[in-house]
Amino acid sequence: MMDILFLLLSSFAILGAMGMVSFHQPVHSALSLILTIMALAGLFALLSASFLFMVQIIIYAGAILTLFIFIIMFLNVKEANLPKEPNKNITLFLGSLALLPFNFLILRAFYKMPLHVNALESDFGKIKPLGMELFTQWLLPFELISLLLLVALIGAVVLGRKEEA
Amino acid sequence: MIANTLFAYIVVAMVLFSIGLLGVISRKNIFVIYMSIELMLNAINLIFVSLSRYHDDMGGQVMAMMVIAIAAAEAGVFLSLIIVLYRRKKSLDSDIFRTLSQKEAI
Amino acid sequence: MSALLAGIVLAPLLSSVLIGLLYMVSITKIPLAKTWFTLPALFAPLLSFVFGVIAFIEVYQTGTALHFEPYLWLGVGEYKIYMGFLGDKLSLFMVIFITFVGWLIHLYATAYMSEDEGYGKFFFYFNLFLSSMLLLVLADGPLIMFIGWEGVGLCSYLLISFYFQDNSNVVAGNKAFIVNRVGDLGFLVGLAILFFYCGNVGFSYENIAHQVASMPASLLQIVGIALFIGAMGKSAQIPLYVWLPDAMAGPTPVSALIHAATMVTAGVYMVARFSFLYELIPNVGLFIAYIGAFSALFAAVIATKQSDIKKILAYSTMSQLGYMFIAVGLGAYSSALFHVFTHAFFKALLFMGAGAVIIALHHEQNIFKMGKMRHVTPVVYITMLMATLAISGIPPFAGFFSKDEILLVAFASGEYVIWGIAVCSAVLTAYYMFRLFFVVFEGKNALHVNPPHDVSWVMKAPLVVLAFGSLFAGFIGLPSLLGGSHLIGSWLGEWGMRGLHVSHETEWLLLGLNVAISLIGIGIAYKKFYAYDLSRHKEAKGIVYNKFYIDEIYDVLFVRSIRKLSEFIAVGLDVNIVDRVIMGMSHGFIKLGHVVALVQNANVRFYALIMMLGVSVASCYLIWMVE
Repeated sequence: MMDILFLLLSSFAILGAMGMVSFHQPVHSALSLILTIMALAGLFALLSASFLFMVQIIIYAGAILTLFIFIIMFLNVKEANLPKEPNKNITLFLGSLALLPFNFLILRAFYKMPLHVNALESDFGKIKPLGMELFTQWLLPFELISLLLLVALIGAVVLGRKEEA
Repeated sequence: MIANTLFAYIVVAMVLFSIGLLGVISRKNIFVIYMSIELMLNAINLIFVSLSRYHDDMGGQVMAMMVIAIAAAEAGVFLSLIIVLYRRKKSLDSDIFRTLSQKEAI
Repeated sequence: MSALLAGIVLAPLLSSVLIGLLYMVSITKIPLAKTWFTLPALFAPLLSFVFGVIAFIEVYQTGTALHFEPYLWLGVGEYKIYMGFLGDKLSLFMVIFITFVGWLIHLYATAYMSEDEGYGKFFFYFNLFLSSMLLLVLADGPLIMFIGWEGVGLCSYLLISFYFQDNSNVVAGNKAFIVNRVGDLGFLVGLAILFFYCGNVGFSYENIAHQVASMPASLLQIVGIALFIGAMGKSAQIPLYVWLPDAMAGPTPVSALIHAATMVTAGVYMVARFSFLYELIPNVGLFIAYIGAFSALFAAVIATKQSDIKKILAYSTMSQLGYMFIAVGLGAYSSALFHVFTHAFFKALLFMGAGAVIIALHHEQNIFKMGKMRHVTPVVYITMLMATLAISGIPPFAGFFSKDEILLVAFASGEYVIWGIAVCSAVLTAYYMFRLFFVVFEGKNALHVNPPHDVSWVMKAPLVVLAFGSLFAGFIGLPSLLGGSHLIGSWLGEWGMRGLHVSHETEWLLLGLNVAISLIGIGIAYKKFYAYDLSRHKEAKGIVYNKFYIDEIYDVLFVRSIRKLSEFIAVGLDVNIVDRVIMGMSHGFIKLGHVVALVQNANVRFYALIMMLGVSVASCYLIWMVE
């Protein structure tokens, strides 16, 4: 059962990714990416990371990518504004060949790791242990991330201003 | 049960990562480049979470949350940049911006 | 006292520097009167003459030579070469007549060159020449002599091309310098071999003389021939004589001093100086004597058909030099130097007289456009007559004694071939010299293009002095046969050592034969040219008139082939190959730079691609390493 789920979710993820990279229109690419994000959320759930499963859907798919699609439509991109990409397919193919050794290297390293898994605690991946971990071990990064978000907010507003005439 | 193996998840994550990398290199469309970057970040998230599961350590999932937060910040800045650049050049071709080169100073 | 030797060399040198500076001032700032140049120019040779006489008297009385070594010139490790002067009998003897005749010619030149704008420049070169010649003669080692040797070559070039506005004069100067250079190569080779073997204790004549006997015989022969090649170039013997007739393009005082009395005798002096070397290799000496004999005959034959007065005298110089080389080749150094001495007087007189005639006829040099000059310039007539009698070997004039001695030496050494050639040359000498004399000064009619005028006394006075010299100079070598004590031979030493083995009867016979052949030559010339009708003169043609086409042969053999080689190297090699390679390399680097610069195209995606490729390659390598 789990295998089938895993295979299904993985293939959706990979299909979505390939589609995102291949589509000409950016809207199509964004929608493919949403498919991938959803499949990944499912994979997170399979890995007992229930809180992250929800965070992924709400924030990533629901906020970031929605913003994305919003901006694409806001810019009112016409066909003429899109770049022509004649060599897209060739480059994709050759690039995939070039990345094979890298993948091979990393995968072989991971191959040696243990196959089977021990049973987990019952509240692994729930929100309470996550919160405990976050506010004790990871307090400093937490504060820094909030600073980062502030900076990004201000930066986005400044950059997006209309120039003085 | 392959779903119980770490290796399977790593394979999936590496494939997604490679696709994202290829997208950065092969596509000229700015949006697609950004989305490929996001895809790479997601693949890394998957690796973090799977490793956290297999070592019984919550740190991986916390790290994944940090990554999501950073991706959000990045999205905000990136998109406003795209808006500024699109206003200037009216094109979404990433090859136009070449002021660093001495021949085609724009 | 021995510092006087340096003074002899320095006086004309400093005077020439002074004249040079004055000349530069004269042409750039304010023009100076000629007296500014004349006074130092005349004073310096006179001063050298006085010093020379004082030194000569000193050496004559004490019998020892003067040495003067002011400073170390080249010191490299153990090899030390000093700047040194040697005043022994030979060098001071030469100094005396060089400075005396030189001074007379300087005096003559002040009148000859008085119209020329380069007057100051002329005396700068002239004094520099005199100083170099004196350095050559007074040097105490062959390297110092070589400084003077090169100096006289340089001044000869400068003075031959003095009238530089005409290109052919410059070409003649170049020819002289280049042919001399070929000779100098031989000289340097000989010098280098000598230095290699004998240079470790210093390089003066005495040092070399002590060590030369230890050198292997074959090497000595090479050195002897090599040094003689230098003498061939300097003293215009076959085959390096071709520059001498062309050198007559220079002003006449130059011909008189350089190419008659001094520079051309440098070769003879050099062989005499190296007598310690040549005594050990008598077959090289025989070779030298043969070259001298052939040069004498060859030049005499060509001179019989020439029509330019200075060229006739140039060939006669070459012929007389041949006689001198016969003498040194056969080991009779004092006879050769005796002939150098007498030749200086009468040859300088001949050239100066020719110059006077040329000036009198407004720079006409073709003898067949002269004639009947006897009445125009009687002083020149009488003095030239005396000189011509001297060169033809008529007693009691100077040339008779010296030439007779050389012929006697040739006969007594058993070299009858050389003696025969020398006798033929003597007949021809008398013939062509009197041919010149009669055509210029006598003749039935005169063919003067411009009306002639007499010349100033400043030009005539040296002629008169030299005429006395031509008359009396022979008496220093009066042989014991005729009652004299043969001063020069016994004083210079070598004569006594050789000791002639001919009887008195043979000597008288030879003496009478010499007089007879000279009279025969004069007689033939008299018959043909005394009453020569210039209006019926035809231009000469033929192989003898064209100097046996030697110049043309040299041109085809050497000049053209070297020029082709030079062109090949300059264009073919240098421009096409070397330049192309070097410029090609630099262009190649520039192109390579352009190609490499393509990588920096500011396309960020391209950079990302390269990074990915880098990662890929690195992972390949890591996989291979781990396997």
